Amino acid sequence: MSTTRRQLLKLSAAGGAALALRVPILSAATADATASPAFAPNGWVRVGRDGRVTVVVGRSEMGQGVRTSLAMIVADELGAAWSAVAIEQASPGPGYDNLNTGGSGSVEEGWLPLRRAAAGAREMLIAAAAARWKADPSGCRAGEGSVVHAETGRRLSFGTLAAAAAALPVPKEPRLRERDELELIGTPVRRVDGPAIVSGAARYGLDVRIPGMRFAAVAHCPTPGGKALRFDAAKARAVPGVRGVHEVSTGIAVVADDTWTAISGRDALSVEWDRGPLAGLTTAELWSRIDRSFDGPMRRVTRSDGDVGAALAGAARRIQATYRDSFQAHASVEPQNSVASVADGRCEIWSPTQNPGRVQKETAKLLGIPESKVTVHVTLLGGGFGRRLAADYATEAAEVARAARAPVQVVWTRADDFAGDWVHPGGRADLEAGLDASGRVVAWRHRASTLHLSMFGPFDPKDVDEDSPWGGVDTPYAVPNLSVENNDVESPVRTGAWRSVFYPANVFARESFLDEIAAATGRDPVALRRELLSAGEPVADAKPWKLERRRLERVVALAAEKSGWGAPLAGAPYAGRRAGRGIACNIYHGRTCLAHVAEVSVGVAGDVRVHRIVTAADCGIVVNPLGLAGQVESGVAWGLSYALGGEATYRDGRIEQESYREYPVLRYRDMPEVEVHTIRSERPPSGFGEQPVPPVAPAVANAIFAATGKRVRRLPIRAADLAKRD
Amino acid sequence: MRYLLTVNARPRSVEAADPDTPLLWILRDRLGLTGTKYGCGVGVCGACTVHLDGEAARSCQVPVSAAAGKRVTTIEGLSGNGNGDHPCQRAWLEEDVAQCGYCQPGMIMEMAALLARRSKPSQSDVDDALSDHVCRCGTYARIRRAARRLTGGA
Repeated sequence: MSTTRRQLLKLSAAGGAALALRVPILSAATADATASPAFAPNGWVRVGRDGRVTVVVGRSEMGQGVRTSLAMIVADELGAAWSAVAIEQASPGPGYDNLNTGGSGSVEEGWLPLRRAAAGAREMLIAAAAARWKADPSGCRAGEGSVVHAETGRRLSFGTLAAAAAALPVPKEPRLRERDELELIGTPVRRVDGPAIVSGAARYGLDVRIPGMRFAAVAHCPTPGGKALRFDAAKARAVPGVRGVHEVSTGIAVVADDTWTAISGRDALSVEWDRGPLAGLTTAELWSRIDRSFDGPMRRVTRSDGDVGAALAGAARRIQATYRDSFQAHASVEPQNSVASVADGRCEIWSPTQNPGRVQKETAKLLGIPESKVTVHVTLLGGGFGRRLAADYATEAAEVARAARAPVQVVWTRADDFAGDWVHPGGRADLEAGLDASGRVVAWRHRASTLHLSMFGPFDPKDVDEDSPWGGVDTPYAVPNLSVENNDVESPVRTGAWRSVFYPANVFARESFLDEIAAATGRDPVALRRELLSAGEPVADAKPWKLERRRLERVVALAAEKSGWGAPLAGAPYAGRRAGRGIACNIYHGRTCLAHVAEVSVGVAGDVRVHRIVTAADCGIVVNPLGLAGQVESGVAWGLSYALGGEATYRDGRIEQESYREYPVLRYRDMPEVEVHTIRSERPPSGFGEQPVPPVAPAVANAIFAATGKRVRRLPIRAADLAKRD
Repeated sequence: MRYLLTVNARPRSVEAADPDTPLLWILRDRLGLTGTKYGCGVGVCGACTVHLDGEAARSCQVPVSAAAGKRVTTIEGLSGNGNGDHPCQRAWLEEDVAQCGYCQPGMIMEMAALLARRSKPSQSDVDDALSDHVCRCGTYARIRRAARRLTGGA
């Protein structure tokens, strides 16, 4: 791409230009009751006689703005007026067999299917208008909720045309609009859920209220796999307002008239636990299992270019380093919860879930009823971050509701939420590079191991989890001899997906290591990255992905340029502090390319301040620039909590942290300025929810090195390690 | 035991066997005011922030017995007319602050209380007030922009 075609969108001040939106949000119930759509050509878009366009959203809204971005795609392709769009949340059932929200796939995977659905509907509305006018459909255009006949200027609204359109055949291969016909895509649009959120009307899982509903707290064994030896049900029942005490497969449920009474009743149980097989387990034991997995060969070689062994043996100089991250909780502010009602061989569940299909399937299995008898309503999610791909807290509600013979809301306390989390497991990566006499990198070996993710099933002794190599296997740099070797260990604790999964650990290791090579060879970290991304084949094969090196190089160059890379960091915020810049970059799943430059200062006591993050990205067409900038800010905050915040630790088999007091996350005063630059592209959009996370920690760590000369090889970063000693 | 509270300018009478029942659960489970959120129950996340006689308070730390006779304002009552058009709510919408949005009612209530206390709070006043809240989505940069809009700060 030439520089003249590189048009940049600066987004940090985009707010003022955003459309002011008051899109009505229908709950599924309201939509069912009122819509009786005149025109419903497919499962994703409907047009009512009143002209209202209902977009059915098949992904969970957990803050990534998907109810806005997917609706924009449909509305734009259809030619709807944005003010006439209403959202309906899909439930699993015929036609809705994949509602799973994960892997940053919502916009990427929705882009073509949703446009096809909307384009088909548009062609039918146009055909209906053309028939009415006895005109040629090719002379008609849809826009702003109407079909217009270009020649005569005649106009019919979608609502007027809906009934006639419904009688027409659904086109098999509708024409998709050209990029320049799309008017909404690429403009900053505010979140459709915003007005409900700021007024307190937005309904999350914990806000569901249904007639006759009771509240439950469940005593779980603090070490998963343990069981209750003794508890005092009578004492719990004696708490006024407690309606029942029920043993369920996950523990002992206390059902009451309100949440506080349920929690008080649970406290009164005074459960004595057999802590089961995990009693005595510590974080150190988990790390020693990971360390032992480095003793022999790694179980899977996920990438092998050239001959790394020979190249290392023949290298003029070898550099080695070991990196570790930490165990991390999700700690979404809304704790886990669900409402269930079980009666007459049916179950209805309201759940803040990323995976309603899994909720349906596991609930049906638990209750022994067909999946078709389980209705799952997806509420808004008060954060998801991968935790809510598991269905445990939803099936638990179904089990308690069945036992209580009443609709029940199961509420996890904050401590329950930590104790029952499916944590991000810590990982270790050993990197080694071979340099030739001129300092050129000729060999690169990345060996990594972690715990397997028990959220997705039992350990497979024959293979390594597919996601543990992420960030290593897709190393973008052109090194002729490159090997990536992965191992994992059966997890005795609950482990799971966590925003960008294993990318943060491997990208921290890889991008820090590259910085170490730059320092060891006296080269500039940006220059070395650009050198290694402009060398070799333009496209590297890293199964299952293709890595476009030049695309990433442009992003690195842009981040460096916009950050003022090389210019001194001066001014009041840096006074009396050691300051530096660091860069890190990544290609996520062979698609979104992203780089961060971090501006950091370190005080005498080793306290780290991150002042500014400058981000450059190439993610194809940007559907909603306002949403994209938000995801960068959010990913930066997540990455900073990972780099500088708390960690989950185990003692006697349980996670020690019970609240944000023991598990600190980034707070308001520590949020840096974030500046976002995107490269204009006509490619289909690629994911952006997780992508900003992985390069944050290494950009900060590299900046700390630039500021202090101290290399960070372990996360989270500890001030004591960076204190200035005279 | 029966307690009389004034919630969003309406007198409310609630029955609670346990005088230590946090105001949070009275609002959410008895009065149907679910805009006030449960986040931690130990006063460290700020999601449950309401106004008690005009001051920001963590409703998970206020026993119903201590709230009796006081004026309680929740996010639903912040704008007075229920339209959600208090200046803080408008600023939050203008800046498109919310992501998952779960913590935002608490953030807005905190900011509104601060502005009621002093019309021109300093940046450090804002930092102190809002840094007691957790937003796991990390919307802080936009909250800062909304706060600047409200305080006239640069």
